[in-house]
Amino acid sequence: MTTIPEPVTRAARGMADRALSWLHANRHLGGLPPGTTETMADPDSVYKPLGETTLAASLILRDGVAGPGRLAAAQSLMDFTWEQFRRGDMIYERQLRHTLMTDPLEMYAPFVRCGYRHEALDRLLVHRSRMRSVSSVEVLPNRRLAVANAARVVGLDQAEDLNALAGATWLGARPEPWAINWITAYAMTHTVFHLTDWGGNPAGLPPELADYVRTWLPVWIDIWREVGQWDLVTELLVVGASIEDPYCRAEDWEAVAALQHEDGLVPRDSDPVDDDPQRRFTDHQHTVVVAAVAGSIALARAAGQR
Amino acid sequence: MSSHSAFAEAADALAVSVLGALDGTGGAVQLARYADDAPDTLAALAAVRVLGADVFSPHLLAGHPFPAQDTAVVAKAFDAFPASDAPEEAAVALRDHATAALLARISGDDALGGLAPVPADDAAPDDTADWSAWSVRMAQLAPLATLGLDGPVHEAARRGALSLSRGVSRSILRRDFPTAVRLVRWLAWLRYDGAELPLDPDVAAEHVWLVGGAGPRAALDLAMARHFLELPPGTAPKEAARP
Repeated sequence: MTTIPEPVTRAARGMADRALSWLHANRHLGGLPPGTTETMADPDSVYKPLGETTLAASLILRDGVAGPGRLAAAQSLMDFTWEQFRRGDMIYERQLRHTLMTDPLEMYAPFVRCGYRHEALDRLLVHRSRMRSVSSVEVLPNRRLAVANAARVVGLDQAEDLNALAGATWLGARPEPWAINWITAYAMTHTVFHLTDWGGNPAGLPPELADYVRTWLPVWIDIWREVGQWDLVTELLVVGASIEDPYCRAEDWEAVAALQHEDGLVPRDSDPVDDDPQRRFTDHQHTVVVAAVAGSIALARAAGQR
Repeated sequence: MSSHSAFAEAADALAVSVLGALDGTGGAVQLARYADDAPDTLAALAAVRVLGADVFSPHLLAGHPFPAQDTAVVAKAFDAFPASDAPEEAAVALRDHATAALLARISGDDALGGLAPVPADDAAPDDTADWSAWSVRMAQLAPLATLGLDGPVHEAARRGALSLSRGVSRSILRRDFPTAVRLVRWLAWLRYDGAELPLDPDVAAEHVWLVGGAGPRAALDLAMARHFLELPPGTAPKEAARP
């Protein structure tokens, strides 16, 4: 029986709704510059954030716990980002040009989850998934999980043993919880995201790892709250909402909800927020995405979906 | 003229002496000689009160004698700095009571137990739901994690193995090493007492020592932790004095 305290669902509702509104209202600040091709100099500047916005919208649609207006906004965001990628052509061209790159597959997965498909890309991905060269690229275990989960969502045959991959991550070692650092914490959150398919399959996290996460999450949230690392704290809220026996403490959720600006922005850290709209978008878009995802997953768990 | 810094220096000096007695690099502590030879007697007595139950460690852990003249020094320290009975100083009251209880037991003079009042029934921190604040309070009670004591604080520690482990992790991540080492001492005591722990206190103790460095009092906490970690887990005797 999943239990999410009522104050958490109230905070989660506000976080998710307002974050989605902000992403939708500011979507044009995250559009690809004119003339962007599949070979971009800085994929992290706009291309990756577009994928993150797509992910948030896709999970809100998957979870279906937002109101009708919000679901329409999420659908509109998906349409926007799909158009940005020239209805999938750009993702296809990037995968065609860079066989070993995994980001096109990861970028495509949220679209597939919501029924968007690109026929040539589908065929290319099937071809690619049969290549030993592709499966032998040397990547970090938590990144390998990201690719494996994206492949699963897209419907590709794959030979990856997710439990074996989980065991190779930092989290899989159930290491000293006091020896975590900022970047490793992000690696840990993503291990949970991919194994649980972003909270959609809590049982995907092996029980011993779920126990470990539940044991130490209070410590990690505490220390990163203290130093105002709100982006990471919000990712940790996603983790807590995604495990089999959720860890959702009202005080933590209310702390993040209280930080959210009226327009939906959630600051990434405790530094002052710039007034310039583009700067605001660039600096805080990721945290707003995470807030939308956190809220949606918690609401879905509270609604007893899984 | 005694001052706060003179008290702190005296406490560090006494901690060094206790450490030396514990690890065999120094002789017996000889509290009476320590107090007689001290340039500032009041500071020396303050040091005895600051170290509290830890002044008995060489006797309890290493079998050193604790002669009558040393008992007198501890009693004199209580005269100079009377035990606290202020409700807002629950940790001090618990530490004082533990010191007096051990003094009575070691000396065989039950009357000495009256040097410190019996703390209120609810003095032992027992709210492990708020693990963060609770573990900080338990860190203040680290001198009670020793041989020969068992009571409400120890019962709370047994119920709070998870909270203490979280407290260790939190304090290391916050680089609050003095708190970390005190909580590691509790974990070490718990393992000796037979508790299952969610983290390895051996590795945590070594890490805190290597990364955090330590003054003499932290080194003493660590020495106590190491003593318990060297004993087979779960071998604590089941009968001990209730402070």
